[in-house]
Amino acid sequence: MDHPKPASPLVSHATCEHLRHKGMYVMSVVDPAEFQFYDKYDATAYWCTKTQKPLGPDGKAAHASACHDGRECCSH
Amino acid sequence: MADTPQVPEVNAPSRPQPHEKYPWPAEPTLVGKRIQRVDGPIKVTGQAKYSYDINRPGGLHGRILRSPHPHARIVAIDLSAASKAPGVKAVMAVLQPGAKVMFQGEEVAALAAATEEQADDALRLIKVQYEVLPHIATEALALREGAPQVFKDGNIKAGDTEEAGDLEAGFKAAAHTVLAGYATQVQTHVSLETHGCVCEWDGDKLTSWVSTQAVHGTREQFAKALDIPQANVRVITEYMGGGFGSKFGPDAQGIICAKLAKQAGAAVKLLLDRKDEHLASGNRPSSASKIKAGVSADGMLTAFDAETWGTGGAGAGSGFPLPYIYVFPNRRRKHRDIFTNAGPQRAMRAPGHPQGCFHTEMLMDELADKLRMDPLAFRIKNLPPEAPNAMWRKYFPIAAERFGWSKRHVTGDPTPGPIKRGMGCAANRWGGGGQGTKAHCEINPDGSVVMRCGTQDLGVGTKTIVAIITAETLGIPMELVRAEIGDSNYPFSGGSGGSTTAPGVSPAIRVTSGMALDALKAKVAPGLGVDAATLVASNGRIHVKGDPSKGLAWRDACKQLGMEPLAVDGQWERGLSASGTSGVQFAEVEVDIETGVSKVTRVTCVQDCGLIVDQLTAESQCIGGIIGGVNYALFEDRILDRVTGHMVNPNMEWYRIAGPSDIPTIDITLMNQPERGVIGIGEPPTISTAAAVANAVANAIGARIRSIPITPEKVITALAEREKTGGTL
Repeated sequence: MDHPKPASPLVSHATCEHLRHKGMYVMSVVDPAEFQFYDKYDATAYWCTKTQKPLGPDGKAAHASACHDGRECCSH
Repeated sequence: MADTPQVPEVNAPSRPQPHEKYPWPAEPTLVGKRIQRVDGPIKVTGQAKYSYDINRPGGLHGRILRSPHPHARIVAIDLSAASKAPGVKAVMAVLQPGAKVMFQGEEVAALAAATEEQADDALRLIKVQYEVLPHIATEALALREGAPQVFKDGNIKAGDTEEAGDLEAGFKAAAHTVLAGYATQVQTHVSLETHGCVCEWDGDKLTSWVSTQAVHGTREQFAKALDIPQANVRVITEYMGGGFGSKFGPDAQGIICAKLAKQAGAAVKLLLDRKDEHLASGNRPSSASKIKAGVSADGMLTAFDAETWGTGGAGAGSGFPLPYIYVFPNRRRKHRDIFTNAGPQRAMRAPGHPQGCFHTEMLMDELADKLRMDPLAFRIKNLPPEAPNAMWRKYFPIAAERFGWSKRHVTGDPTPGPIKRGMGCAANRWGGGGQGTKAHCEINPDGSVVMRCGTQDLGVGTKTIVAIITAETLGIPMELVRAEIGDSNYPFSGGSGGSTTAPGVSPAIRVTSGMALDALKAKVAPGLGVDAATLVASNGRIHVKGDPSKGLAWRDACKQLGMEPLAVDGQWERGLSASGTSGVQFAEVEVDIETGVSKVTRVTCVQDCGLIVDQLTAESQCIGGIIGGVNYALFEDRILDRVTGHMVNPNMEWYRIAGPSDIPTIDITLMNQPERGVIGIGEPPTISTAAAVANAVANAIGARIRSIPITPEKVITALAEREKTGGTL
């Protein structure tokens, strides 16, 4: 079977189809108490499938907050 | 803004309802025992085939030309001489003129040749003209006024501010405050097996032997990057030499390898060398903080105010949890990611947690010192309430007793002589938990069993736990079970990361083998003249429950299958796994105050991971994690030259890791929680070692070193500073 469409709570349908991070391949069950032992933080390492690096083809950072509509290299 | 208190909520999936049909056995014969790896003998005899050991007929050797500059624009690339060099079968530009390289070691061009020597020679014939651009090598240089803005959106990415409670009121309630800064270094992954793969095309179908933590995920990325169907890609990882979070896809070298193989019409092997590995295959980002924290006269934490930053290199973040575990009711934390022209970060064993643990646990000791209070008692006083996923209140005293914490002296070893001893401690927690895995089980008429699952073994014993659970469920010896994993042609399983493999895979194996057993029972029950529901499997027999004499030996039962193997497919189901672990570690060090050399002599670890599947491999995870933590505390450090931006230690001589004599005596107590089901243990044991070691060094020498690695230079400097100020902490 194909890999399930890589998904993550960190990305939405508006996010570029080429954006990836480890959590999209790890099938975790989040402990509901996860953020009761510390506040939210972002240790996510994103990458672009086109460059295989944390920078997109346009040289800007690949990140859920940046890889979406309006960015030239973004596609869905 | 955080709107929840730091109080654990105890509910599923931290403590699930047991699985109705195939619960874990109350009295297991294999699960939880000390069982050696099924693939140990072939690994130690060199028979196991890692990606590097795959040699395809007519296979070529790939090489990548990497940028020598940390920041430059490519003006021109001339591949002509290289393409005509002896043995060269394929050449490609990875980047095109006009593109920028953003760190030393970024991939620029590549080729494949018949021999390694021909590939090395030809690589030197590729001519690249660069326009060298200003670069930023360190966080300090990035933050400097007037620093060149080398990234399109600036060198700094401000993160969110997390706040809770009333900070002003918290500091008003404080009897003591500590104002301090802490820092951790960039740590590269140093997997013993470097990144890379062998790629071979058969028409439009690609087979790749990849060193990866995700055979299915890597297949998906090959397909995406090469614009081919996933069905045309097969990824195989039969054995693997570590990944630590850095091997979740083909990476640049994988895609390059596939393209070279396509161009050459031959298989290509392209695995990185150690220098490439340090420069371009990922790292744990640095972290730094300025923290002001308050504590009441009776030892309760009142306030925490922190600014933090770190670098994940070129374009990547550096977040980490802070404060970590302990309850600061009033708190604020602002974080900034600093971009530098350095190899980018990737997930690394417990991403963010060792950093958050280090900053918080150092602070906790400093606050305890202000109070003149035992740091252990101070910690216990400020922990969240006990819960299945928050067991520190129980584990700290257990570990303290085993470790001999009562023998700890106050800060600064008063013993005469140059060798000073000290003790420190720290706590950890991690989520873990997994799901989604599928499996296929075949029971053959000769009694042998095959369990296939598209997970992978990073070297931690996954194949062994697949065999254990299958054999346990079928009531047969492990020798009858062949566990087949590490192939994207096998049923789907997620990537091995975040301590999710054991809790993702174990339930799937339990359910699938349970279904296979049910099917076999249905076959043999009529012959025995009993209802299949009355049958159980144990000690190599299928028999009526409570009457082992009324039944069949396993092999005789399987003979009734005739010529047709019994095959079933199953998958992960709820009730056999959970998430949320806790643990504590204590470290003892010896510091030579004449040379500044620190040595970790003992580490005591008390750790849970839910139901223990294999005591031996679970302990091995702890040992590996603790050794990694010792490395983080004392040795590892990616050093970039401020002027050139080059890594000055991209090898295993000057990028230091522990040798045998640096490894402490390690005492492990695993706290079994069978009622919770399986939870992963990959991440937790590496989180708190460095913090415990750093606190132990401060306890030994009476001077606090607030950054790691704790080098001899830092020890000598700290002692000199203490001498100048004329006191201890």
